[in-house]
Amino acid sequence: MTATISKAPWGGTYPPVAKLNLAADPRKMRRIIAEDPEWSLAVVPHLSNICLQHIVRNFEERPILDKLLPSHKDYVLERLSTSLPLRVTSNLISDEGYWKRCCQKRWGLRDVSAYGHSWKRMFHERHLENIIELFIPDVTDPRLVLDAVPLCRDYVTRLNISQLLPPIKEPQAQEEDDGRDSASDLSVQGPSVDHFDFGILLDKLSRLEELHVVYRVKGCGMNFEWNLFEFTYRDCELLARALKSCTTLRVLRIHQSKVDDEKCRLLVNNLLDHPSLRELNLSHNLVGDRGARAIGKLLTRSRLETLTVYDNNIQGPGARAIAHALAKNTSLLSLDLRLNRLGDEGGQAIAQALLKNCTLERLYLGANEMSEPTATVLSQVLVQNQMLRSISLACNRLGSDGGKVLEEGVSHNSMLLECDLRLTEVGQESEYCIRRVIQNNKNRERKTQDDSVM
Amino acid sequence: MSQVRNLPENPEERIAARRLRIVARSKANKREDGVDAVDNVTKEEPRKSQEQVELSEKRMINLHRDGTELVTNIQVAADARESQRRAEMYEAGRLRVEKLENEAKSSLEKFEEITRKWTEAKMKEIPQDLRDCLNSQQQLCAQIIEDKNKLIHELQQEVKLSDDRYVKNLKKQAEDIDLIIERMEDQAKFLMSSLRDELVQIENSFEQERKILLTGNRKKWEQHTEERRHKEMENVMQRMRRMEEYEESLQQLRTTDAEEYNMIKFKLDTDVQVLQQKLQQTKATFQLNQEKLDYNLQVMKKRDEENTIIKSLQKKKITRLQDVVSSLKIKCANEEKLSREENQKLTEDYTRNMQQYKDMQQKMRHFAAIDAKKFEEVWLMNEEEVKALVTKTLDTDRLIHEQLLGLAWQRPPMAFMERCGPLKNQRQAQNTARQTAAELLQPVGTSPCCLGNYKEASAGPGYTCESGVGQESRSSKADKTGNGGKNSGTVSIKTVKKLLELLCDEAGFLIESKLLKLLSPLEKDEQCLMKMDSIFTALGIESQEDVQKLVNFFMEYWQLQGDLAQDVSAGGGGGGSPQEEAGEWTSDLMNPNDVLVALKSFTACHCRHRDVVAPQGANMLALGGRDDSEDAAYWKSMADVIPEAKVKVWDALETALNKYHTVLMDRCKLIKDTQSLKQQNAELRMLLHQHANSRVSA
Repeated sequence: MTATISKAPWGGTYPPVAKLNLAADPRKMRRIIAEDPEWSLAVVPHLSNICLQHIVRNFEERPILDKLLPSHKDYVLERLSTSLPLRVTSNLISDEGYWKRCCQKRWGLRDVSAYGHSWKRMFHERHLENIIELFIPDVTDPRLVLDAVPLCRDYVTRLNISQLLPPIKEPQAQEEDDGRDSASDLSVQGPSVDHFDFGILLDKLSRLEELHVVYRVKGCGMNFEWNLFEFTYRDCELLARALKSCTTLRVLRIHQSKVDDEKCRLLVNNLLDHPSLRELNLSHNLVGDRGARAIGKLLTRSRLETLTVYDNNIQGPGARAIAHALAKNTSLLSLDLRLNRLGDEGGQAIAQALLKNCTLERLYLGANEMSEPTATVLSQVLVQNQMLRSISLACNRLGSDGGKVLEEGVSHNSMLLECDLRLTEVGQESEYCIRRVIQNNKNRERKTQDDSVM
Repeated sequence: MSQVRNLPENPEERIAARRLRIVARSKANKREDGVDAVDNVTKEEPRKSQEQVELSEKRMINLHRDGTELVTNIQVAADARESQRRAEMYEAGRLRVEKLENEAKSSLEKFEEITRKWTEAKMKEIPQDLRDCLNSQQQLCAQIIEDKNKLIHELQQEVKLSDDRYVKNLKKQAEDIDLIIERMEDQAKFLMSSLRDELVQIENSFEQERKILLTGNRKKWEQHTEERRHKEMENVMQRMRRMEEYEESLQQLRTTDAEEYNMIKFKLDTDVQVLQQKLQQTKATFQLNQEKLDYNLQVMKKRDEENTIIKSLQKKKITRLQDVVSSLKIKCANEEKLSREENQKLTEDYTRNMQQYKDMQQKMRHFAAIDAKKFEEVWLMNEEEVKALVTKTLDTDRLIHEQLLGLAWQRPPMAFMERCGPLKNQRQAQNTARQTAAELLQPVGTSPCCLGNYKEASAGPGYTCESGVGQESRSSKADKTGNGGKNSGTVSIKTVKKLLELLCDEAGFLIESKLLKLLSPLEKDEQCLMKMDSIFTALGIESQEDVQKLVNFFMEYWQLQGDLAQDVSAGGGGGGSPQEEAGEWTSDLMNPNDVLVALKSFTACHCRHRDVVAPQGANMLALGGRDDSEDAAYWKSMADVIPEAKVKVWDALETALNKYHTVLMDRCKLIKDTQSLKQQNAELRMLLHQHANSRVSA
């Protein structure tokens, strides 16, 4: 644990002092330096240059930038140190070049396209993420976070929190070192919070649109303990309240955080009628039937467009609840229920809901222990529903009969562009036929697109 | 697992980006195509580059799909394994729970047994028994504990196994992830290289196309420049030539103009001198005129003054005269009014008189008709009586002759007996022109009799004109026409008919347009007849005679035209030659163009005749009476039916007969006496007989 925590927060490190050995520097030994466009034969530099250099040196105390001429401004920006404190630079400098230098200095080469091609946004988001990821409850001062907020507020639209540290335990707890006991200990006399409290942050970030949270610790190595990966009810409560306060949020992703039925219900209760939420992702959790029922309720009372419940523990009843909501829903475009245990009961329920729904475009039902009956209903859906563009049924034992039924259904459909039937034992003939139909659909689609472009 | 989930996102993004790039490139290509298409709209055939682009696009899509499938295959397999594992775990867990429950149940039983045995042990008082019991208890407990330990051990074993499995899974997943990464990299590399290949190919095809276009365009360009050069050369040469020509002509013009200029200058100089002289002269006359005009002005002024005086006088006179004029106007208006009234009165009188006159005329006509009728009736009655008397007389005469005289009786000539009615003007026997035409135009089948009729009619001049004045001229004319008729009588009826038809066609302008419209529904013959009628009325032809005249005129005319060279005289005297030729006279001679000319001259002739005839008609109407000079003779002839000699015979006969009568009377008396004597005799004889018979009886 100490290893993870010992990662010192980012601090300014000045470049090493230039050595005075002139002979070592080849530039000093040359009379003409052709590769440097600013080199001049004049021994005495221009006063303006000297002034600018002075500005650069004392930028922290006296940030003078906007009053400079454009050419001088470029000169200054090119030479500014990347280690200047953020409070000086963040609201003053908008030059991408400077921020690019900062990012590359701190994190090396990165793909800026993921940040809307804005180096500044990238720097601020990653800066804030770093602060949160290294936040230790009861140890780190919350003011560290709050100080960063006014600087980052205008530039942060996404937070991708890849770890959240738990509080440091008392020595006695360390001694006991027993998973079962420590859990009870925490609930009795633990620290004030189990993880970072988003409540102090989310309502202040006025432009936040995406939040990705994982309640776990990265790279714990041999210091593994179960309670490092604990998403407690209290955490959930705090998070839910914080989410409710953040009205600009569009995408919420909570991965691998052991979200069970209770927590799911709590989250959903706070997300009901959220004004802007469009995407909810609860992959790799422990959501069961009751949680699924809560999600169904959320479907009816929000404008979700994408719902991903990949790798959970939803079974037939939960699927029925979601299907019930889906039949009435008019906003959902994508539904991902892969790697659950819907079975034929859930599969049929979802398929029958699709007979009424006419907005869903993508449906993923891979690895759900479904078989032929589901395929029969789905083929009816394919005949009737002309909105569905992509459907995945991989890793379900549909059998060759199910394949034939599906083939018949697909042959009446002209909108389906993708149909994943890997590892479903549907028989090669059916698979080939379905693939051909889909190829035709794709060609038609491409043609219409080309026509529309022309 | 997070790696499994997170990593595919990057490739997906990259794929999306790549897709965008492909779309953008294809769009750019299309735009180029569009530009090209604008350049050469005429030859819009599927080009090589386009085909190449489409082929590449299809190949890339296939590659992309296959690669994506290859990468996602791993994920799908992992999903499948995971679901399998879960199912197994679920099953194993279920088994485990069952096992645990069984175990718990059995241990509970054992535990109950132990507790039961405790109570039993408490009852035991013998220490050995107790020890035995305790031992058995201990054994039982040990058994339980052993069972439990065994279970624990098993579970621990399972835990270890699942740990191993977990580790194995982890390793497997790590491998999977590595595989995915590897495949993704391969895929990226492969896609990149194939994209590069495709790009090169597409570029090559475009390059090729461009080269072809370039060479083609260059060739065209060179051709055009060559043409242009030629044209320019030609133009320059032409221009040079023209320039030389123009220079020459300019030179010529210059010389001629100079000469002309000199001449004109000389002439103008002389003109100027002359004009100057004239100017001097005019100046002198001007001086003179000015003086004259001054004098005139003075005179005029004086006259003007006089004129003003006269004008005032005249004005006074004008006012006076105007008064007179106004008074006269009033008078005139009055006069006019009066005269108008008078005029009106007179016109009324006139109309009334006219009316009266018309009435009178009507009455007169009426009475004349009545008189004529009455006269006829009386005449008829008398004639009848006379005729009866005559017949009676004749009968008597016949009787006398046959019975008394015993002579054969011969009937005296009695032409008048066949006559009936009053003696009449026989002019009505003449046919009207119209009838003639109708007859002529009748079908050929009936023509012979017609012809006969016609001949008779035209030949028969048997009419008498009552008018004493017109009689001689008429009769002479009639003779003439008769003669002419004889001439033309030989003219075939066909020819006449043809002539009439010709006339009908050529003189259509004489017919009223209204009539033509009305005629249109009728038959052709009928139409022709009606037209002829109207033409005749227009020409003033009324009788058959006139028609004949017309025909003759035309005949002559044409003969004149045709035989002008033969110098045949065109008079009635020269009738011999037309008569001969009339038979041969064919329709060839009938030149429709001459018809109008002939008609014109005919009307000129004919109208003169009519002028002469017209008063005759008027006189005839006025006289109206009939000739009674022959009546007496007529009657007398009737009365003289028995000649004077015969009357004498009758008288002698009468006396003889009277004598005979007396003789006969005497005889008659004698016969009667004898008869009465005979009767007396018979009676007596009877009485005797009776007497004789009665005595016997008695």
